[in-house]
Amino acid sequence: MGLRRYLANKTIWYLGALVVAVVLNFLLPRLIPGNPVDVLVSKMGQGGLSSEAQQRTYEAFMREFGLDKPIWDQFVLYITGVFHGNFGASFSFYPTPVSSLSAQSVPYTLALQLPAIVLGWIIGNLLGAIAAYKGGGWDKSVFTTALLFNSTPYYCLSIILLYVFAVVLGIFPVGGAYSLGLSPEWSWEFFSDAVSYWWLPFLSLVLINIGGQAVGMRSMAIYELGSDYVNYSRSLGIGDRKMTGYIFRNAMLPQITGLALSIGTMVGGALITELVFSYPGMGTLLFGAISSNDYPVIQAVTLIITVAVLVANYMVEILYGFIDPRIRASKSGEK
Amino acid sequence: MTNIQSAAVTAEAGGPLVPEGLPTEPQKAKPAWRSLNFGPRMWISLGIIGAVAALAFIGPLFYPYGPDQKVGSLYDSPSAEHILGTENFGYDVLAVLMASARNSLIIGLLAGTIAVLIGVAIGILAGYIGGWVEEALMGFTNIVLAIPSIVILILISISLQSTNVAFLKGVVGLALVIGITAWPWTARAVRAQASSVATREHIDVAKLSGARTPSIMVRDVLPYLASYAVMAWVLQLASAILAESTLSMLGLGPSGANSLGKQLFWALAFQAVATGAWWAFLPPTIVLTMISFGLLYLQSSLDEVFNPRLRRGKKKNLAKAAARREETARKLAEQNQRVEVTA
Amino acid sequence: MTGILMRASNLTAVYAADSGQDVPAVDDVTLDVPEGQIVGLAGESGCGKSTLGNALAMIANPPLYVVGGTMEIDDEVIDLSTLHRGANEAHRPYRGSTVSLLPQGAMNAVSPTLRLRNLVVDVMRAHKPDTTKAEALDRATDRLNMLDMPTRVLDSYAHQLSGGMKQRMVTVISTLLNPKLLIADEPTSALDVSSQKALIEMLLAMVEKKIMRGVIFITHDLPVLSMVTDRLAIMYAGKIVENGLTEELVNNARHPYTSALLSSVLDPTVETRTKHVLGIPGSPPNLANPPSGCRFHPRCPFAMDICKTEEPAFLQERDHDVACWWANDHAYETVPMEVNQL
Repeated sequence: MGLRRYLANKTIWYLGALVVAVVLNFLLPRLIPGNPVDVLVSKMGQGGLSSEAQQRTYEAFMREFGLDKPIWDQFVLYITGVFHGNFGASFSFYPTPVSSLSAQSVPYTLALQLPAIVLGWIIGNLLGAIAAYKGGGWDKSVFTTALLFNSTPYYCLSIILLYVFAVVLGIFPVGGAYSLGLSPEWSWEFFSDAVSYWWLPFLSLVLINIGGQAVGMRSMAIYELGSDYVNYSRSLGIGDRKMTGYIFRNAMLPQITGLALSIGTMVGGALITELVFSYPGMGTLLFGAISSNDYPVIQAVTLIITVAVLVANYMVEILYGFIDPRIRASKSGEK
Repeated sequence: MTNIQSAAVTAEAGGPLVPEGLPTEPQKAKPAWRSLNFGPRMWISLGIIGAVAALAFIGPLFYPYGPDQKVGSLYDSPSAEHILGTENFGYDVLAVLMASARNSLIIGLLAGTIAVLIGVAIGILAGYIGGWVEEALMGFTNIVLAIPSIVILILISISLQSTNVAFLKGVVGLALVIGITAWPWTARAVRAQASSVATREHIDVAKLSGARTPSIMVRDVLPYLASYAVMAWVLQLASAILAESTLSMLGLGPSGANSLGKQLFWALAFQAVATGAWWAFLPPTIVLTMISFGLLYLQSSLDEVFNPRLRRGKKKNLAKAAARREETARKLAEQNQRVEVTA
Repeated sequence: MTGILMRASNLTAVYAADSGQDVPAVDDVTLDVPEGQIVGLAGESGCGKSTLGNALAMIANPPLYVVGGTMEIDDEVIDLSTLHRGANEAHRPYRGSTVSLLPQGAMNAVSPTLRLRNLVVDVMRAHKPDTTKAEALDRATDRLNMLDMPTRVLDSYAHQLSGGMKQRMVTVISTLLNPKLLIADEPTSALDVSSQKALIEMLLAMVEKKIMRGVIFITHDLPVLSMVTDRLAIMYAGKIVENGLTEELVNNARHPYTSALLSSVLDPTVETRTKHVLGIPGSPPNLANPPSGCRFHPRCPFAMDICKTEEPAFLQERDHDVACWWANDHAYETVPMEVNQL
């Protein structure tokens, strides 16, 4: 398969997935019997609003969110809104636009997830390769530790780390993203304060990612160790270090595809980590929105997460196409 | 959710797990399972899972308090009477933990089984039949796989929460939702295996002898995937239990029932961690980790049983053999010396 | 050791089975390679010929262990019994420069993510760490020119080359450091006929140009062996049973196994074309539990009582060694072919 065909193929698939994701994101919340405004207004009713006022609010909301139009028109409105970065207004913080709520949370989520995924991938793969190559006690201890971390749910490790290091030992602050009295700004003072809040949630993500990658890399590398080229390189007198390099390079390729497939799971798990630490990212925003039935926010958050994951996967797969010589350099048929 | 999917991906990329007809030496008759390398890992993982299952299903028979019995107030410390104290509503934590573990296991079993059934069916259909059926099924699978499953889970659960059908909101409904969203990677991996089995000679024999396609898929393809399906099921179990607790912590757990995730949800909502009420959040955390670790460890030991290339030999046997080789080498060297002396 | 390039003595190698039992695949084998000659090693699959090749190329990966034996090459004696993983480094300098391996089926012999020129550089540097890239590539280019091969293949990855081309490139890389001894392990078995011919011609040219001073050519393809080799060694169940000049062995087989093996092959020459194609009855023994005495006796039409109890010693004849009780009794007689028709 040539590189161009590979790229075209991947692009088409990811565009397809994007379309399906957007449609699902639009459709699923609308499958709710009645509609979200009913739920919202009936809650207001419990707050003692008169029925006439309720009716007015209801109609206002229906117009505001376009729910009085046929579903196809709603979809067109939704799509045009999304393309302009307009997700409508939040129910619970009406009339704050959803886009500004999510704009506040995205940086925190990125600051946690991006380094956790990238560093976790690099360190995990190194550890896994070393464990496979050294074998014996190294293998046993690295593998068991990695498996333990890999199988610990994100939020369980978060809770344990939070309790031990913040509550019992008091080394890190208990929750939040920065100290009371500060406000987010580009200053050294804010940054250094925010880092002390960032450490624990970051650690709980990165440790688990390292574990997952190390487990995967180890079994990949064990497969590679038994392959013909290892034996041949050895028969040529090539040293251990060079050979580890060969093995690493080959075992890494499936690990890249593996990364593309697990980014979604990692991101999903990490949302709960934010909850545990009350870290003001997308996870906490989503949690708040779910508990207050704030559908526009839920829809925006799920859409942003989906698109981000699809884009990340797409970029990883494109990168893979450039790295794997079997795709990059197709057969030239030298006889 | 942890990186369970990455384990599955590894299993898929690692090549066919289907035994390739290894040269076996004629050995003393042993039952087949005896020749499998049931290492200590297998026993450790089975022990962990057994302990959790005992807590969930046998524990309540002997414990005097029920999960819906108010026995104290907010976060009473552990005492002789209530070993793990009380939680935020004043219920006995251990009693709630037993009920939660049971519900979580039930959700895992149901959802995991559903996911494996769908995944194996789609995978075999695609892998064995091939052609446009394969393209269509795998295209669909890959698209579903690309969308983070947690998003679909959240959206469906929110819709279900506002229905009036009680059973859809409870344990069974949640299990159904998790099951029908979790199958794609199993389908993908099974397809890879099935299409390699489809090219084997025994399939040709079956075709020539007039067997019909459904019968070939069930009798001649499925058995070769059985070991894989078992491992996928173990992973799906773990993955479903973790998906349940993720949803529960977001406030989308089964209504009117306990679960490990819901226990954590309430513990976080009532500031158990910040106030140091460890008995409220540590037990469900530990049980969840035990389930997850036990099942993944079981999967990796099954992988070694089914996958000889990953096996690294039993330590005891290897040590014995190494000692014996040293001895032979020494004798040979002596013998050669003697020959040289006499020559 | 005049005229002898390499002598392997008392080589024994075992496979460690999962059960903890050791299966000897090469049992107390002694083999000479004379200076400038190609020695063929033949036998059925599973007779230990590839294992012997690996041990001589100084690679023994678990579960294969070399438990005893030495290699004497150019008056240097190398202990092969320490060839396990821990002592990897001790034998590394010899690999590729003193003894080199041309592996079975070069399909996967080169890492799929490595360009051939990078492998060339790595091989050179493994033995002379201060080699520059340019020096290494110059050497490879010269070698390719000398053998009339295109130099641009150095820029390729293995998957871009055809099977025959890949095998020839691997041959060039294996011999880049002018190893004293090349061990070619079934180099032609995965190739089509024209690629086989090209590879064999290249090997012969290399010997002629003295790139290496001796070759052990392992194959079960007897027509190829009789064409290429100067001497032949026949292996059965981990032991060498007959060993001598190729022509001598082909025309005057002294061991019943050699005779049966040769007659089981289609030979398109005029003399043999009219003969029946004969098989060898029975199957090779289980090496975990080899037969007593001569290992071939359960399948041998000439088996006598002594064959069942005592192992025959090597009988030395003119350019021809044989380990057989029948040959002992019938000096210089060729094994009568027709008995195999039984």
